[in-house]
Amino acid sequence: MNDLMVMTQIAGRRCALPAHDVKSVIELSTITPVPQTPDFIAGITAMRSQALTVIDCRLALGFAEGDWETDDRAAVVAIDGHFYALLIDAIEDITTTTSEPGQVSGGFGPEWSRVAKGMIETAAGPALLINFPALIAGPGDNQAGLHAAA
Amino acid sequence: MDDLLADFVAETREMLEASEGEIVAWEADPADSARLDTIFRFVHTVKGNCGFFDFPRLAGLSHAAEDALADCRAGRRKPDAALVTAVLAIVDRISAMVDAIEAGEEFPEGGDDTLIAALGNDQDASDLAFDEPDGTSGHGAASGLVSTDAAASEGDAPKRVDPNPSVQRSIRLPVDLLDRVMSGVSDMVLARNDLGHRLRQAGNQPTIDGPFERLTTILSDVRDAITRMRMQRIETLFSALPRLVRDLSAELGKQVMVDLEGGDVELDREMVEMVRDPLTHIIRNAIDHGIETPSARLKDGKREIGLLSIAARQSGNTISIVVSDDGRGLDEKRIADKAVETGLITASQRAEMSREKILQLIFEPGFSTADTVSNVSGRGVGLDVVRDNLEKVGGSIKVSSQPGIGTLFTLQIPLTLSIIAGLTVEVGDQRFAIPQSYIEEIIHSSAKALDFTRVGETALVTFRGDRVPCLMLSEVLALDQGDIGEGDHTMVMLRLASGDLFALAVERIHSHGDLVVKPLAPAVMRSEIYAGSSLLDNGEPILLLDVTNIASRYGLVSDARTRVREIGDDIVETAKNTVSRAMLFTDFDNRRCAIRLELVKRIETAPASALDLTGTKPRAVIDGAILPVVGLPEGQVPAEKVRLLRLSDGECELLHAVRDIDDAVELSGKLKPERDDPLIEAVTLINGATVSLLDGHELFTRHGEPPEMLAKPLCHIPDDEWSRTILAPLVVSAGYEIADGSDDQNIGEGAVRIVFAEDNDTVPAGEDGPVIRLRSELDAGAGDDSIYRYDREALVRALGDARPARGATQ
Repeated sequence: MNDLMVMTQIAGRRCALPAHDVKSVIELSTITPVPQTPDFIAGITAMRSQALTVIDCRLALGFAEGDWETDDRAAVVAIDGHFYALLIDAIEDITTTTSEPGQVSGGFGPEWSRVAKGMIETAAGPALLINFPALIAGPGDNQAGLHAAA
Repeated sequence: MDDLLADFVAETREMLEASEGEIVAWEADPADSARLDTIFRFVHTVKGNCGFFDFPRLAGLSHAAEDALADCRAGRRKPDAALVTAVLAIVDRISAMVDAIEAGEEFPEGGDDTLIAALGNDQDASDLAFDEPDGTSGHGAASGLVSTDAAASEGDAPKRVDPNPSVQRSIRLPVDLLDRVMSGVSDMVLARNDLGHRLRQAGNQPTIDGPFERLTTILSDVRDAITRMRMQRIETLFSALPRLVRDLSAELGKQVMVDLEGGDVELDREMVEMVRDPLTHIIRNAIDHGIETPSARLKDGKREIGLLSIAARQSGNTISIVVSDDGRGLDEKRIADKAVETGLITASQRAEMSREKILQLIFEPGFSTADTVSNVSGRGVGLDVVRDNLEKVGGSIKVSSQPGIGTLFTLQIPLTLSIIAGLTVEVGDQRFAIPQSYIEEIIHSSAKALDFTRVGETALVTFRGDRVPCLMLSEVLALDQGDIGEGDHTMVMLRLASGDLFALAVERIHSHGDLVVKPLAPAVMRSEIYAGSSLLDNGEPILLLDVTNIASRYGLVSDARTRVREIGDDIVETAKNTVSRAMLFTDFDNRRCAIRLELVKRIETAPASALDLTGTKPRAVIDGAILPVVGLPEGQVPAEKVRLLRLSDGECELLHAVRDIDDAVELSGKLKPERDDPLIEAVTLINGATVSLLDGHELFTRHGEPPEMLAKPLCHIPDDEWSRTILAPLVVSAGYEIADGSDDQNIGEGAVRIVFAEDNDTVPAGEDGPVIRLRSELDAGAGDDSIYRYDREALVRALGDARPARGATQ
């Protein structure tokens, strides 16, 4: 309750990222592509002397490329000691939650269910709470993850 | 309170480490009162601290040890092996108790009394002197020394128990904090680069440039200091070794003296940890297998005490640690037998292997020649693990040995894990880095020698006579090939730790320098192509290629068995390379000749006109130097241009004219000395044909001379204002020196003279040099060969024409 959330648009949907986990929001300038890696890894970029792995969240969810506009801003998060820049459609606001994450009967759709911790109510309306490790695992690992879980 | 306790534990540990080496050194030389002081200080401090906290057992132990040592210091007692062992046991117990205190555990009861009793404090001092088991005469003399020494030191003993020993002051820091400071400094460097870029764009601003320069200097100082913070003296690793050697040799009934060198070499903290186990293992091996028992050593006519020396040296970006013993050496036959027995090599392979190669077999998995499994070594964890661990951090290990004389292990390890020397290459508009340690050579593919071919889908290049597989980096990375022809690639020859060689084709080489390597996210690492990332000076990220993984993806790493053979071949090959390479050519008599490559300074191509055949010895002018020429055919030179090998012995030079230059080759065949022709050192076979190898010594004895630089030709100009200010600069720029009036006739002889056509009388009689006449009138009269004085082109041409004429006559 009353946690700060960074409200974002990912693939046209409103998503919430826990503000505590977001180190900073950066403007992506040059991204160095990394050949021979999955598509959702857009490349690496530098934030000061730190190398960041840029994850295109739309592709990581399993959506096709180019369906959504982006304002080239990215949220920087640290997962297991590595820094990632999450490329999203837009960053809207910072707001507080008004409820615990909850589930909706019927789920959020196959792409979203994988990366969502649940739905939360915020001052700006309902949003999907994102589970970072699941997001950066990418769509390919989804299947493996499900099988492993089953 | 917790903080105090942590400080106590840390301080005790630090002193423990420092004193262990001292104790052993003290045992070797009991007369050394300085050592005794250090140990005394340790137990004294522990005792004092224990009283401060509530550790009665620690206090009891340290008190007993202190008493015994105080007796030694006062000369009431002579230190012997039994005492040292007892003190060491107490030091060990203290260390174990400190560990327990740190972990917050209770240390098991009992045992302290036996340890204290072992010190023999209650015995009478005189008894002890008589109890001395095998006091040799040498010992007796030493004991006398001790007493006098100790008596001398007794007077100032209270002063010596100095609460502030003169050790380097240090503080403890979490590594995290260090890393944060390091990345902070890296950020500052990037910000500085950015600022510098903007300042350059803005143009020169003296008020800002000065302070900016200062900032740059300070920043690079800070950066150096920060880098050094991660470094640790290898001493910290060495200080534990005397104790290890002592315990091991006592256990095995051997006598070993340890000699440490290069403790001040600095190494990355993490790397020190990586080296600890391999080094310990090798030392265990040396004492267990290498050094013989004292009786066996005496029988072989060696000193009773074996010598184990460990030396660390830094060379460039690597540290080499050499561990050598003067033991029995490695038994080539037993190693080979064992290798055949375990199926590592076949009997026929064995027959072809050199001693060197056989010795390296001890690093193969599942290899141990120990007949009996002792407590110390031969427990199945073999040298293969040592090698694997070293290779994991980019290091290597080698062994060499002389039977009966000793064994020598050489460990090579990189200075740090995080900073490596790397080469930046470009492919498909993107840059990648390759660790320098893998790079054998860089070759531009258009070189004829490379002989790029495709066999099936596999690309091959020829490198020093071997067909070597070639990977296209653009293919490895699945990048668009672009429209670059196959001949335009640059080949980076990479040698893997296993000894396998392959070529990596890239589009361009950029630069090389130190890269600070940072780990990559797991999702990227999964591609198994990259080893890490780094930032370039401009802040742009760059990926570091994982050469070993790329090679194994394409099956370029041979398995263990072939690997053994190739390593061996490689050693032989490099030995050959250093011995002899030669330049192969055909001379004007159509003989195939070779000359040692070291002698060849350059290959020159000169026009036939540059050759001067008029004198007794032919000469040629190359780059303004006159050099003797050999190997020219009789009569006229058959071509317009002559290829000349410019040979140099460092001082003298000469030119060897050749019809055709073939290639640089290795002198792999046998050299058959040639006696009839003194100019030929030997005859050898290269590619199945005989080749005469020229004798460099004879060649230089006969023809070599220091290159004679051509003096600039002189030019006399009229002595007036116009000539000095307007004509002279033009003459100088045409390559002449202006002769001043005081020149005597000898120097002036043959010099070009410029005169005014109007005053003919200024030409001195007997002057035979070319004369250029200048006239003031634009239009020349009939039959006048003079030049209008502002006709620059004609004047320069005339000056140019005058030169070769002079060169030929000289």
